[in-house]
Amino acid sequence: MTLSSRGRRTLSLFSSSAPSNWSKAVADAEKIVGYPTSFMSLRCLLSDELSNVAIQVKRLVGTQHPLLHTARDFVFDSRNNLPTRGLIVLLLSKAAGPSHTASDLLAQDTVSGIHTSQRNLAEITELIHTAFLVHRGIVDLKEWTVSDGPLKDMEFGNKIAVLSGDFLLANACTGLAQLNNTKVVELISSAIGDVVQGIYNENTSNTEENSLDVKAWEEHTFLSHGALLAKSCQAAMELAQHDKEAQSMAYTFGKHLSMGHKLNSDLLPFVKSSAGESATFSFSAAPVVFHRQIVGQERWSQQLQQVKTRRNELDYSKLLAAVKSEKGVSTAMDLCCYHGNKALEAIQAFPSSEARSGLENIASAITKF
Amino acid sequence: MACPLLRQCSKWNANCSSLFETLWYSNGRSVSFSTSSLGRTSWSSGPGNEVSLRLLSAPGRECCRNTGRSPPNRAAIALRRRTGPNTFNFTTSLTRHKLRLLDPSLKSCFCINSAHTDVKVQDPFTIAQEDLTNLYDDIRKELFVTKELKALCHYYFDGKGKAIRPMIVVLMARALNSHSNRSGELLPGQRAVAMITEMIHTASLVHDDVIDGSNRRRGKGTINELWGEKKAILAGDFILSVASITMARIGNNTVVKVFSQVIEDLVRGEFMQLGSKENENERFKHYLEKTFKKTASLIANSCKAVCVLVTSDPKVHEIAYQYGKNVGIAFQLVDDVLDFTSKANHLGKPSAADLKLGLATGPVLFACQQFPELHSMIMRRFSSKGDVDQAWQYVFQSDGVEQTKNLAQHYCQEAIRQISMLRPSAERDALIRLTEMVLTRDK
Repeated sequence: MTLSSRGRRTLSLFSSSAPSNWSKAVADAEKIVGYPTSFMSLRCLLSDELSNVAIQVKRLVGTQHPLLHTARDFVFDSRNNLPTRGLIVLLLSKAAGPSHTASDLLAQDTVSGIHTSQRNLAEITELIHTAFLVHRGIVDLKEWTVSDGPLKDMEFGNKIAVLSGDFLLANACTGLAQLNNTKVVELISSAIGDVVQGIYNENTSNTEENSLDVKAWEEHTFLSHGALLAKSCQAAMELAQHDKEAQSMAYTFGKHLSMGHKLNSDLLPFVKSSAGESATFSFSAAPVVFHRQIVGQERWSQQLQQVKTRRNELDYSKLLAAVKSEKGVSTAMDLCCYHGNKALEAIQAFPSSEARSGLENIASAITKF
Repeated sequence: MACPLLRQCSKWNANCSSLFETLWYSNGRSVSFSTSSLGRTSWSSGPGNEVSLRLLSAPGRECCRNTGRSPPNRAAIALRRRTGPNTFNFTTSLTRHKLRLLDPSLKSCFCINSAHTDVKVQDPFTIAQEDLTNLYDDIRKELFVTKELKALCHYYFDGKGKAIRPMIVVLMARALNSHSNRSGELLPGQRAVAMITEMIHTASLVHDDVIDGSNRRRGKGTINELWGEKKAILAGDFILSVASITMARIGNNTVVKVFSQVIEDLVRGEFMQLGSKENENERFKHYLEKTFKKTASLIANSCKAVCVLVTSDPKVHEIAYQYGKNVGIAFQLVDDVLDFTSKANHLGKPSAADLKLGLATGPVLFACQQFPELHSMIMRRFSSKGDVDQAWQYVFQSDGVEQTKNLAQHYCQEAIRQISMLRPSAERDALIRLTEMVLTRDK
């Protein structure tokens, strides 16, 4: 069972109930780009393949396969699972405005100040993100024990998860090709490679024994949570023929914003005031990583021993208290603010506009708890 | 008699048919399928009628046209499927009395070629050798990543694969370069295409093994067997991302589009494999379409990609594409035959693997015409006890294997017809020779 709960935890990273100022910043920003909440390409959602998947996923009801949770979160939790990456790409595209070097022909092809190609890029970014939500939920069959449920369900769930993830990625590839810009294809493909490496690292370092220091945490988090947005932001500038400098600013913004967002969601279980809540959390969550580095491996092992129940399970509420009693949480908060501020700084060179304030609101929201 | 087949043809026309169905129908009407002469097959349809089908390919637009108003004893019907850019386009021509099927035959092709080139046809492997020497080293260099993920990504690029796809790509590239009056030398982008082809192929294998739950491939444990499903999927994704970066660096938008089509086809083909069709004719069409998407699209589009880099002539693009498509389908048909005929582990995987996965391939579909008992087994995907053994028996009691081989041969002949439109070169002739190797390979 540890397996599935861990899977669920990872999957819910971006769908956790975010603080209201975040939701408000996002909701306001959506009005600016003039688009409904979902950027997922309709062509993709309405395809035979995905309706096939929907039917197959029904067969998983009652099983432990993580794909079920991914699908449920995706369908029923849409308010909290906003396609924010796409939204940020659009806001940034609009905030950057028209390029001085762009041809007149390019300038004509805009709706509310955003190029069609940039809108497509926003969709592609969402497709890739969703594909990896799905691929994250693949189960290792050898670790599956009979007491966890029938193996057949897991095999079937894996099959559907592989196929639907691949289908989303294939659609992203087709979309990328249609952008007619090989630089953008290269950039986004490298982001896909980054995400894979990031998730791969999660799988190898997400254990009690394997300690991750702060530097490694930052590297891994950038790969798994930052690279896609950073490179998509950069690509959005490239598509509007903005210069290297603007591309670099966009990249920096995307990078710091996603790092801040990840820290924010990692911090949530530690800052919620509601006492007695038995929230579980990942050992690779920032406050835990920082705590472990501060108290040292030996002390950490002792603490783990102390919070074990008689049945050798971890008492998360006690562990939470232990982490909160030290500086891990405040260190993570400081880092969160640092990234939020860096993100704000990165867009100051863009002209003041509604779109830029939208981005500023989002960047400020991640530093509030 | 205006030939019942003609009526069938108009029926197919309405249904948007394909060669397979054509073959299928002829067969379904208990038409004898003579397999005596290599490169020539005839059906006798109805009393005294010998009907032959000629494969022609035409660049496909959405249309369904009947040109059957030609002279009474000869009707050519262009049958085109409505959907998608990757359709099987065939022209069926038939006469009342006697038509030769699929000319030029394999033999006559070779005659024509040697007459034109005066070059002894060399072994394709020998010709492609030089270009392929460092292919796997170069792929491993592209897959630059640290730690454990590296071991997974490099696992199948150990130089022990057949590398048949890169071989076709480099031979095609050199043949096209000669055709376009360049030196035969490979352009850097064309070599990159050969690498990308092998990478995409490998990435799809890694994912397929998870989907099928396979534990052996190429005589060793699969990645999912050794490292688990989670990591295997990520390794596949990573190889795909590197292939995608490599293709972007060629800097040609058409090449990127051509490959994105491949990736889409691969996934759609895999989805097609999930379902079974109730209707037998549908089922055969479905099988062929799946075969195209899962195997032939990669070869066809890779051939097109090397072509795009050397010429902008769409006619030449089409030749390259059609050669790859036809060889690719033949290759998979032979693969499906080998699943029945190859000794266990000769392929590096257990035989009857497809049946065990619930998949009905060519030999079973043909056998089902003679043994309708197979129908219900196909529909339940050989899931009942004893189904796999029973189906296996039926296939060998029927001529399903033989008919699938024949079909493969037809595709090879069409491939030869296509590639023969290029100017003669050693590489072009090697591509012709290669079709023969596709048919005769035993692993």
